[in-house]
Amino acid sequence: MYSFVLLIIVIFLNFAIFKSMPGDPVQFLMQPWSKDAPEARREQEQLLRDLWGFGESFDVQLVKYIRNLLTWNFGTSYIEKKPVITMMGARLPYTLLLIGGATILSIIFGVIVGIIVIQKRGSILDSGAVTGSLVMGSLPTFWLGLVFLMVFYTILHWFPNKGAFPDSWALGWPVPYSVDSAYTSTSLSAVFTFNMMDTWTFIAGYLQHLFLPLLTLTVFFTGGWILLTRATMLDVVTEDYIVTARAKGLTERSVLFKHALKNASLPIITSAALSFGFLLTGAIITETVFTYPGLGAWTWQAIQVLDYTVLMAIFYIISICVIIANIVADLLYGVIDPRIKYG
Amino acid sequence: MAKAQSKYRFMLSRFLGFLGRLLKNGKSIFGLIIISAFFILAFGAPLFTPYTAIGEDPVDRLAPAGSNVPPTWLRYLPTWLGGNPNLSENMLIVQNSGSPKLVAQGGEWNSTSDNPNVSIDTSQVNYPFPPPMGFTRYAEEGSLNITYSRKGGTMGGEVKVVIFKEFDYPYSGSPYSFYGTITLQVNGTTATASLPLVEKLEVPVKVNVFLGPVDGRKWPIWPPTESLLHDVRVPRGFTKNLLTGAPGPIERPLVGELAFDNVTKQWINSGWITSVKNELSTICSDSQSLVNPKSVFGGPPNNPSKIVFSSNPGKYVYGIEIVFVDSYSIEDVSTTVILDNFGLKLIGTSFGLLGASHRGWDLFSQLVYGTRVSLYLGVSVAVFSVFIGLAVGLAAGYLGRVVDELLMRITDILLVLPGLPLLVVLVAVLGASIENLILLLGILGWMGFARMVRSQVLSTKERSYVEAAKAVGAGQFHIIIYHILPSVMALVYISLATAVPGAVTAEAALSWLGFFDPRRMSWGRMLNEAVVEAGAKTSWWWILPPGLCISLLAASFILVGYALDEVLNPKLRLRK
Repeated sequence: MYSFVLLIIVIFLNFAIFKSMPGDPVQFLMQPWSKDAPEARREQEQLLRDLWGFGESFDVQLVKYIRNLLTWNFGTSYIEKKPVITMMGARLPYTLLLIGGATILSIIFGVIVGIIVIQKRGSILDSGAVTGSLVMGSLPTFWLGLVFLMVFYTILHWFPNKGAFPDSWALGWPVPYSVDSAYTSTSLSAVFTFNMMDTWTFIAGYLQHLFLPLLTLTVFFTGGWILLTRATMLDVVTEDYIVTARAKGLTERSVLFKHALKNASLPIITSAALSFGFLLTGAIITETVFTYPGLGAWTWQAIQVLDYTVLMAIFYIISICVIIANIVADLLYGVIDPRIKYG
Repeated sequence: MAKAQSKYRFMLSRFLGFLGRLLKNGKSIFGLIIISAFFILAFGAPLFTPYTAIGEDPVDRLAPAGSNVPPTWLRYLPTWLGGNPNLSENMLIVQNSGSPKLVAQGGEWNSTSDNPNVSIDTSQVNYPFPPPMGFTRYAEEGSLNITYSRKGGTMGGEVKVVIFKEFDYPYSGSPYSFYGTITLQVNGTTATASLPLVEKLEVPVKVNVFLGPVDGRKWPIWPPTESLLHDVRVPRGFTKNLLTGAPGPIERPLVGELAFDNVTKQWINSGWITSVKNELSTICSDSQSLVNPKSVFGGPPNNPSKIVFSSNPGKYVYGIEIVFVDSYSIEDVSTTVILDNFGLKLIGTSFGLLGASHRGWDLFSQLVYGTRVSLYLGVSVAVFSVFIGLAVGLAAGYLGRVVDELLMRITDILLVLPGLPLLVVLVAVLGASIENLILLLGILGWMGFARMVRSQVLSTKERSYVEAAKAVGAGQFHIIIYHILPSVMALVYISLATAVPGAVTAEAALSWLGFFDPRRMSWGRMLNEAVVEAGAKTSWWWILPPGLCISLLAASFILVGYALDEVLNPKLRLRK
């Protein structure tokens, strides 16, 4: 319930922020070099304003805005003149792939390294890992991406520098399967054959382009997970039941993984849920560096041309994601730790 | 009084104890050393680099280096490490171009003239370089006068005078470019021709500035087309605006007028003639684009510095050849060529500690001055956001009820809003000045801290000493300042340290996206210029240092914050 109220306030805020911003998309779209007579120009501008409903009163606009949000009708981009929802649909998978992959990989690495570090706490390895993760978390992502580009693209030519798939695919996509269909007067027969070779090029093409941005984000995220795992595990390993487990003669590994990690996983899982909420925001910089066609790069393009329709839709989606992630985190708390009741 | 003293002594001893514990921590020592190094760099920036914040020459506001050239120390690096022994460095060929003097007078120029009618001496008259060029360094007193005078009735002819300087060029690669300056004024006796009424020098002058190996071809580098200097008007086409790079005529230099007047007086006093021929032409010959490279070098437009310095290393000569074209006349004739601001500078293919940007700006000074931007922004944002967070946290925690509810809901909303996209949109709309950035980052960065303060305040509020204070009748303000605030000060210190890196990296990211303060050179802007503007994706000497500095600064603040956390939260210390 509270989340719902929050959502409504955020929607209002998004609306208010973009409505109060300077800059007129109509002026942006009108060509200043057009040779039309001023009256004709004014007429065109008025037409555009009417089309976009700029002339209407504030409350009418707001109601329309909320109605459109509820029906997932985000309107048409001022610049690209395509429905925002289709454009978003084309870009969302890339971002989910990139950030989701990076989050999962970094959690896996972070937890493993964190547990290794815990076994040798107080040693040079421990303080080295802490320092290392602090440094890793403070690296500017775009610079990290630039360095990776310089090393792996410009110098070594191992990985491509932009896009989500090879440029040549724009002309003809490799089809992972082929359909031989034959129409007869009575029936349609289709033979569906899976082309193994093409499937491989298909996956390899995507993975090759995904690798560098994924590496950048994973490096950036991992430090935080190491620190979190280390901190929560430190809390847990001093508890009595761990001493008991050790006293029973269990191996250190089994103590740490079976007994300690279970209880330490609570904050880790909650943070993971929360981080998925912010997953769409983290990608602007990385996607811009690698020209990866996800939501982040799209946001950046929209900001440059002040395409408010697109920006409002993106902000809405991000806010929803964050709020949902909050709810999920709260619910997960209850599932993992039965002592906590959500309500 | 004594009470106050003991209080301060107590505070001092407590602070020293805290410092001692902090300095036992390896991380904090590392962090503090790096941070103080950056502060020293920021405050002492002019001591570390002779160039301006964007890497220009502070005197003539010109780029000191070639475009996108690597650092000098690459010359000494072995090739397999990326070194290049063929790089050359900047060379100032003419040490004192402001007042050219002959070797006999303690200067650096040699001269050859076999004609007894020629005399060369130094005058104190100065011909300042015109202001558009900004060559204030050439404003020194003194110029070289080359006078040819012949008594009437004796034989004339073409008389050639050469003023030159030999120099060693030690590098095995040719320079990136060369540029020289010259101010030339020709005066003398005139004869009034018939119609049209143009007064011409009786002895016109041909001038040719040359550069080349001592035992090889001397290349004419100025003027682009050979011409006799005898017209009244200022010759056009000899000038090149170094700032815009566009070759073409400039208006008669304004500062030159003063010199012109001085000179006029002098000649009138000497009683020579009524009208003086002054040809004041100030030129720069820039090897990167000679006005007509074809006519000079007889080939396709090429980098002249490569052609001139093709037989490197070795002895080279730079100089000017002045030919007095004296056709016979029965009168006494005289022509004086005044030479000033005669200089030459070779721009090397390597520069400084970190090379130069695509505009030829020194990258090291950009890096050093970038420290100022980052520290100023980072510390301001940290103070600003911690202040807001502290105020909100204290109010929400201590006052409770409606205030708490209201403030925490605002916090929640701001936490849900997408931070970086919102920041980018706001900066795009409001403008990317550094003050705007500080405001926005401060306003968008206090929420987490406010929550921490609030929970700390909530637990402190229930302590018995606070209740005791309340019972004694202390006011709310008094309790907050004297009893609650000290309990959150640990959080304040930690947050001050950990808020800096976020702000620094955010600024860098925004600058990299193109939202930078055009008046300042920051580390993020350096990266933006390197990759986006110049496309120098292999210039690691350009890309690596700013990023390393950002990471180092951010990491050291985080390390100090982490160490503070360990020192100020005894729980963490025990757990090891």
